[in-house]
Amino acid sequence: MNLTAIGAAIAAFTGIGAGIGIGLATSKATDAVARQPEADGKIMKLLLLGCALAEATAIYGFVIAIMIILFS
Amino acid sequence: MLNISIFNIVCTILNLLILYWVFRKFLFGRVDAILERRREEVDDANKAADKAIEEARATKKEYEEKISLADEEKQQILADIKKQGYDEYDRIIADAQKKSQEIITEARHNAETEADRTREIYAAELKEMVIDAATKIAATKHSSAEDSNLYDKFIDEAVANKNG
Amino acid sequence: MKELLNELLMEDKTLIHVPFGNGFFDIYTSVVVTWIIMAVVIVLVLVLTSNLKVHNISRRQAALESAVIWLRGAVGSMLGEEAAAYTDYIVTVLVFIALSNMVGLFGFTPPTMDLNVTLALSIMSIVLVEAAGIITKGTKGWLKSFAQPMAAIAFMNVLELLIRPLSLCMRLFGNILGATVIMELAKSVVPVLFPAALSLYFDLFDGAIQAYVFCFLTSLYIKEAVE
Repeated sequence: MNLTAIGAAIAAFTGIGAGIGIGLATSKATDAVARQPEADGKIMKLLLLGCALAEATAIYGFVIAIMIILFS
Repeated sequence: MLNISIFNIVCTILNLLILYWVFRKFLFGRVDAILERRREEVDDANKAADKAIEEARATKKEYEEKISLADEEKQQILADIKKQGYDEYDRIIADAQKKSQEIITEARHNAETEADRTREIYAAELKEMVIDAATKIAATKHSSAEDSNLYDKFIDEAVANKNG
Repeated sequence: MKELLNELLMEDKTLIHVPFGNGFFDIYTSVVVTWIIMAVVIVLVLVLTSNLKVHNISRRQAALESAVIWLRGAVGSMLGEEAAAYTDYIVTVLVFIALSNMVGLFGFTPPTMDLNVTLALSIMSIVLVEAAGIITKGTKGWLKSFAQPMAAIAFMNVLELLIRPLSLCMRLFGNILGATVIMELAKSVVPVLFPAALSLYFDLFDGAIQAYVFCFLTSLYIKEAVE
């Protein structure tokens, strides 16, 4: 049981990558909007897409963590 | 939760295809037909409007031509009338001049004939007087004093006659 | 905690048990919910598109027309001009996934929480992508496109055939699963008000975003295959 919990916790570390990725994407998007405020809509669209893709890694980790808990 | 059932996957794929068919046939098909028809109608209306504008333009041009033609005609008529007026004026003036010339000529002629006649009368009177004097002289005795008196008398008579 | 997860995730998904075939023909809850969604959507479409007019349109028709034009414009701009023929399918998938994700609002289990449904969607996507490649380039050109930009990378390109649908499938599945699990946890911790606010984010916003991402990636792949 203990090892299971540790495994799930390790799987949850994927959240770090997702966090860093979304943070980077947002900072660059802010830069881009500051530089070109008229391209607001396009940048917003791309940012949302990038965030969703980066978030996917965290989701993978989450799924794996649940699997570890349930199937151990 | 991770068990995979081929049958359910096939079911979902079929569901999706049915939904796609329905969307394509009813939603997009019908909406597209309406949009297409509306577009055609708008095109037709545009075309009709273009045609009407073209026609109006042609009519306008025609009228402008007609108006310019009428202008020319008017000018022509005015010129004609003016010319006629001038002609008439000239003719009248010429007539008047001619008439006046005639009148003057006639008057001159009249005056001349009058003068001629007067002269003739004078001449006749003079002749009578000369004959008269000659007869008187012939009837009296010839003396130079009498003669000169006679001449003076005669001349006086003649002058008085002329002045009278 | 584990009981909740067990109850949520390990429950028997079979709704309609078919007596023959040894459980092969069992129909899952997700498929039945899909049927309900489809029935509602089809009835809605039929009612909305009945007696459309060219002039003097009703407000209902104006809304329908602008919605159709907007959806097509959004998907068409993702696909580009060369792959515009696939717009209708992508719009259908977009509507289907968005409604499936949001059906949690009405108390159903979202069908996209079932791996079978997302797997079916991603299989359809990859089949469509490869079919688009074959239609545009011909079989030879399609086979050659695996060796691009260099022959050494061909193995990776073939592997992508597996990775792409798996990634699509797992992203959608994981997102909806995660959202539902978090919703259930929140409901068990704070039963009032808080789950409603959370459901606004997870059911509406996240559902729409995931549907958009799925369609965006599919159209990206199609665009790439068509070029």
